[in-house]
Parts: sequence; structure tokens; C-alpha cells
Amino acid sequence: MTWIWILLAPLLGGLIYGGERVLRARMQRRQGPPLLQPFYDMFKLLDKRTLIIHAPHALLAVAHFLVLWFTVAAIFLGWNLLYIIFLHLFAQILLILAGYSVRSVYSHLGANRELLMVVAYEPILIVVAVGFYLISGSFEISTILQGGGYWHQLPLLFVALLIIVPIKVKKSPFDVGEAHQEIVGGIEIEYSGVFYEFLYMSRFLEYIFIYSFVFLFGGESYWLGAVLVAGTFLVVNLVDNATARVHTADMLKIVYGVAMSLAIINILGVLL
Amino acid sequence: MKFFTTFRKKSPWILHYNAGSCNGCDIEILASLAPKFDLERFGVINTGNPKQSDIFLVTGPVTYRSRERLVELYTQIPEPKVVVAVGSCTATGGVFRGMVNTEDGIDRYIPVDVYVPGCASSPQLIIDGLVKALEILEAKSKEIEKPFKLFGAIETIGNKLSRLNMAKKVHNDEN
Repeated sequence: MTWIWILLAPLLGGLIYGGERVLRARMQRRQGPPLLQPFYDMFKLLDKRTLIIHAPHALLAVAHFLVLWFTVAAIFLGWNLLYIIFLHLFAQILLILAGYSVRSVYSHLGANRELLMVVAYEPILIVVAVGFYLISGSFEISTILQGGGYWHQLPLLFVALLIIVPIKVKKSPFDVGEAHQEIVGGIEIEYSGVFYEFLYMSRFLEYIFIYSFVFLFGGESYWLGAVLVAGTFLVVNLVDNATARVHTADMLKIVYGVAMSLAIINILGVLL
Repeated sequence: MKFFTTFRKKSPWILHYNAGSCNGCDIEILASLAPKFDLERFGVINTGNPKQSDIFLVTGPVTYRSRERLVELYTQIPEPKVVVAVGSCTATGGVFRGMVNTEDGIDRYIPVDVYVPGCASSPQLIIDGLVKALEILEAKSKEIEKPFKLFGAIETIGNKLSRLNMAKKVHNDEN
């Protein structure tokens, strides 16, 4: 049963992404694209001619997608949380290497920003994992999901996670890595056709990756987890529609200043 | 493949380029993307990246400054692609026709599939033109389409098309 879920993970992420586009359209009082729009886009990209800069650049996108898929599989199988965070870091490194491997200035700029984003959110994810360890006594997701009470004991850590969710799903105010009309998608700029599709699908997997961290806060009660995920989804999209993009340096200041302090206060509170 | 061809008209991504326009048509294009007219309900995304676009929306008569970039952007869009000329200037030169520093319309440089009239063309006309362009897009093949000027013969490395070498020639040719 778990294997079917793992195989269907990109489709599930695509549905989340499509639903998000509809939700954002409704928030702006317009009709918006159909729910299955991401899949239409995928099929269309298969039909386009593909322009390749050089082979490693194209293959790094495929590798990024596959490693991310493996990360999501590890989440579904209930493996070690730290292992999952570092696997995800590996996937991001592959993407950043792809960004640096071409001569486009925008690609380099995007890779720089992606690197800064990793620097911003990675410590928070690790502190979240430490928080789960302190309550449940294990880094294993399967053990964490059998415990409970994370929501009561780690409220500030949840807020810290809430602050970094927009970075991971590339939403305002922290969408510096993609920054559409400013650096034209950053790392994505030199991709086209089939290879762009891999980057497009890896975005679906990123949604599953980061929202599964939110889901873990529900613990043994899956209903609480689902409610938390739905609430986070709404808040993130509301904030996305209501704010402008912040500067990269300001993003780091906000994440280290606010999110990191909240997380450390919460960890100290649990320890003492 | 036949199966994927039907999805072309469901997700047209547009690239918008201003070839020396007065900004009137550009504002109308942005208005048709904004909530009131909502082009996104057709699956349209304003990508701003030629390599991921299907529809090339051009405004303005082609000024001497912008013609190289126009041809370069056109060659960077992978096939199948459709060009929509928005506004009177883009079709005939409009009020700028015969001026010393403009060309009279973009069809001297690249093949145009749909002309949208008006100065400035209204959002309704632009949406109508885009829907017409989608029919053409669905019927197109994946054969390489060439601009008329500033391009020359197709360049290849080994067996493959070299768009870089073709783009280089755009700057060298002065015709």
C-alpha cells in the first residue's frame, strides 16, 4: 500500500499544486485555471522541442527529481528524520550545481539565492527534528507518528516551521530563488521541454516534503495533522497574495532573527 | 504524438515582448492577465522566458534598437510556437509608419500567425486573438520555423541544430 502512495507521490503533489492555483485565483476573485492544469502543462511540455545547453546540466535536473522522489519515499516509509533532511539537502545541491554549470548570469544569480535559501531553512528543519526527538525520544518518523502532544509542547517551533514553509514552496514574501519577472525563474531559466518538466514535477514533491513536516506535528492523531496541513496551506497562500517579495538579505535576517529565536526558546523550554 | 497534441491549447505559456511600443498595448495585455479578464482560466502563464513559451505576444513597430532582440527571442522559442502581433503598430507600423527609426510591422522579420488590431487593442480583442492562436498552435507541426531577416542558413553541429551559432549571426548581419 505504501509503495502505491510512493509511486503516486508526484501526482498527489500535482493535485496539491493545481488546487493551490485555484485557491489563489479564488482569493483574488477570479475563476482561475482548472484543477488538473499542472498535468496539462506536463503533457504540453512533453510535446515541445527540447533545447539542451549541455548533457550534465540536463541530467542534473533529472537527478534532482529522482533524489527528491527518494526523499519523499523515505518519508512515506517512516525512516530517520535527519537522514531525510540531508537527502533533501543533497537534492538541492544537485540543483544548485546545475545552476552554476551554465554561463547564464540569471542562472548563477538563481543558484546564489537558492544557496542562501538552503542556508536559511536548513537549521530550522534540523531544530524541528531535534524538537521531535526531545518529545518522542526518536528521530524515526514511524516512532514520532506513534507519539503525541507535539502541538502543545512545541507551539513556537511550529511557528518557526510556518515561517520557512513559504521559502520551500517558493511563495511570497520569500520567493527570491524563483522571482519571476526579476530573474526569470533563476535556475529554471535554461531548461526547456522534457527537462524543464522534471523541475516542474520536483516542485510538486517539494510540496509533499515540507507539508509532511507540518503533518508530523499532529502525531498519532492523523486528523489533527490534516487540519494543521490545511490551515498552513491557507495561511501560506493568504500571505502569498498579501505580501511583496523581500530582499534576500532581509529573508535571512527574518529567518535567523525571528524563526531561529522562537525555535531555540521552545527547545530550551522543553529542556529546562 | 497525437495524444499530447491536444494539450497544447490547454496550457499556452506566453512571452510578451515590447518592440518599441508606446506602452498602450502592453498595459492592455497586463489588464487581460489581471483578475477582471483573467487569462489564467485558459491555463495561460506569463513566463517571461522564451525557452518555456508557446505564444509570442509582440507589441509595437519594430525599432532599429529592438529588431535583433526580436529575432533572437523568436529563435529561442522551441517549436511549436505561434506569434501574435498585438496592436496596429505591430501589424502595419500604425502612427509610426514611414518614420526614420522604425520598421513597418514585425512581419518583415518573423512570420506572424494572428494580427490583433486596435490602437490600443482592447483586452477582449487580445483574448479573442489568443484563442484564435490556440487553434493554430494545435494544428502546427514541430518543424523549425525561421525568421525572414537577420538569420541566414540553418547552422548545425554534427547532426544537431545549433541555435547559438544562429543567434551569433543575428548580431553580425546588418541588413
